[in-house]
Amino acid sequence: MRRSQKEATRQRVIASAHELFDTHGYQGTTIREIARHAGVSVGSVFTTFASKGEILSEVMAARLEPLYAEIDRVMPHLRGCTADRLRTMFAVHFEFEAKHVRLFMSHIAAAYDWTLAPTARPYGRTPRLQEVIRETLAKGQVEGDVRLDVDLQEIIDLLMSAYAWTYRLVITREADAKLLIGVMDRQIGLIAEGFAPKHS
Amino acid sequence: MKHISPLQVALDAPTRAPTRRALAKQQTRLKVLAAARRLFSEQGYEGATIRDIAAAAGMSTGAVFANFTDKSDLFREIMHDDMEALTAAMRDAAARGRNVEDSLLKIFMAGYTFYKTRLQLARAAFSVSWDKDGGPTLRGMASSTAFQDLFTEQLTAAVDRGELSQESEAKLRSQMLFDTYLSNFPQAIFEGWSLDALQARARDQIRILLAGARRG
Repeated sequence: MRRSQKEATRQRVIASAHELFDTHGYQGTTIREIARHAGVSVGSVFTTFASKGEILSEVMAARLEPLYAEIDRVMPHLRGCTADRLRTMFAVHFEFEAKHVRLFMSHIAAAYDWTLAPTARPYGRTPRLQEVIRETLAKGQVEGDVRLDVDLQEIIDLLMSAYAWTYRLVITREADAKLLIGVMDRQIGLIAEGFAPKHS
Repeated sequence: MKHISPLQVALDAPTRAPTRRALAKQQTRLKVLAAARRLFSEQGYEGATIRDIAAAAGMSTGAVFANFTDKSDLFREIMHDDMEALTAAMRDAAARGRNVEDSLLKIFMAGYTFYKTRLQLARAAFSVSWDKDGGPTLRGMASSTAFQDLFTEQLTAAVDRGELSQESEAKLRSQMLFDTYLSNFPQAIFEGWSLDALQARARDQIRILLAGARRG
C-alpha cells in the first residue's frame, strides 16, 4: 500500500473504532464492523494494526491529548490541601471521560484481552496522571500535609485503582460525572487519612 | 411436590433410587463444567465457544444446552463454585487473625493463594465483569455478595472489640478494601508477582486504608 493511502486507512480505522468502541464497547465490536464503518477492507486493517487491542491503544492515545492539555492548564492553579488538589485532578479526569465512558471502560476491559501482548496492557493507568499525582504528593510532603515516611507509589496505586474501580458505577448505577466525582472525593479522603501526619 | 402418604410409599415398588438417567445427567454436567473450566482458562471468556467446550467434554452441543442455558450460565456456575469454596477458605483464614489488619491480610492472601493456580480463569472473570451485561450479573450473584460481606463483617467485629472506632464511612472503607484486593490481581496475572510480594503490598495497603478508623 502507498504510504499516504496507508496513513489515510489508519486515520479512518482509528476514527471508526473510536465511535464503535464508544457505542458498543470493546468486546461488542469486531474488526469486520470497524472495517465496514471505515470503508476499508478487513485485510487493510490487518496490514496496519496487529490486533483489535492495538487499535484500542491507538484510539486511547489519540484522544488523551486534550485531557493532558487541560491537566497542564489546571496544575499551576491548584489550591487547598493535598487531598483537595487530588480531588480537582480526578474531577477533571471524570468530566473528560464521562463524555466517552464506554470507551474508557473498553480500555480497562481490553487489559484482559487475550489478543493483547502482556506488556501492552494499559489498565487505564495513564502515565501522565500518575506523574501528576506524584508531583502533588511530593509537594504535600514539602508543605507538611503528607508524611515523609510514606511510600508514594503505594498511595499512587491506591488512588489509581480507586479511580478505575469507581467507573464500575457507570455500569451498576448509570452514574454521571457528578456521582463519580462525589464517590472519588470520599475515597481520596479515606486514603488521605493514610498519608496524613500523625498528630503529636 | 405432590404429597404421597407413607402407606402409598409402602405399596409402591421398588424404592426410588437415583435413576440411571439422573446419574448420567449429573456426569454430563460435571464433564461439561470441567471442560468449560479448562477452555475458559486457555482461551478466555470470549474465545471459548460452546462447540469447543462440548467437543472437549466429548459431548454434543445439544447435551451442553440440555444442562446450561448458554455460555454465560456455564461461566457463572464455575464462578459460583469457586467463590463458595474461596469464601469458606477466607473465613477460616480470618478466624486465625491476631487483629483486624492481620485478619484482613489473611483474607487477601487466601484469595491470592486460591487463584495462583487459576490466574487465567481470574483474568476471564475480570474481563466479563467490566462488560456492560456480564458485570452486574456476576456481581449480583449471592456467592459474590457473601464474599464482599466478609470485609464488612471484619470491620464491624473490630468496632465491637474496640479495635476500630465507630464511623460513618465504614461501608465505603470495606468497599475500598474489597476493590484493593481485586486490584492486585492484574499484577499477579501480568507481572507474575509472588505471594510474598503480594503479601508485603497488601499489608501496606490495608494499613493505609484503616488509618482513619484506628483507635488512638
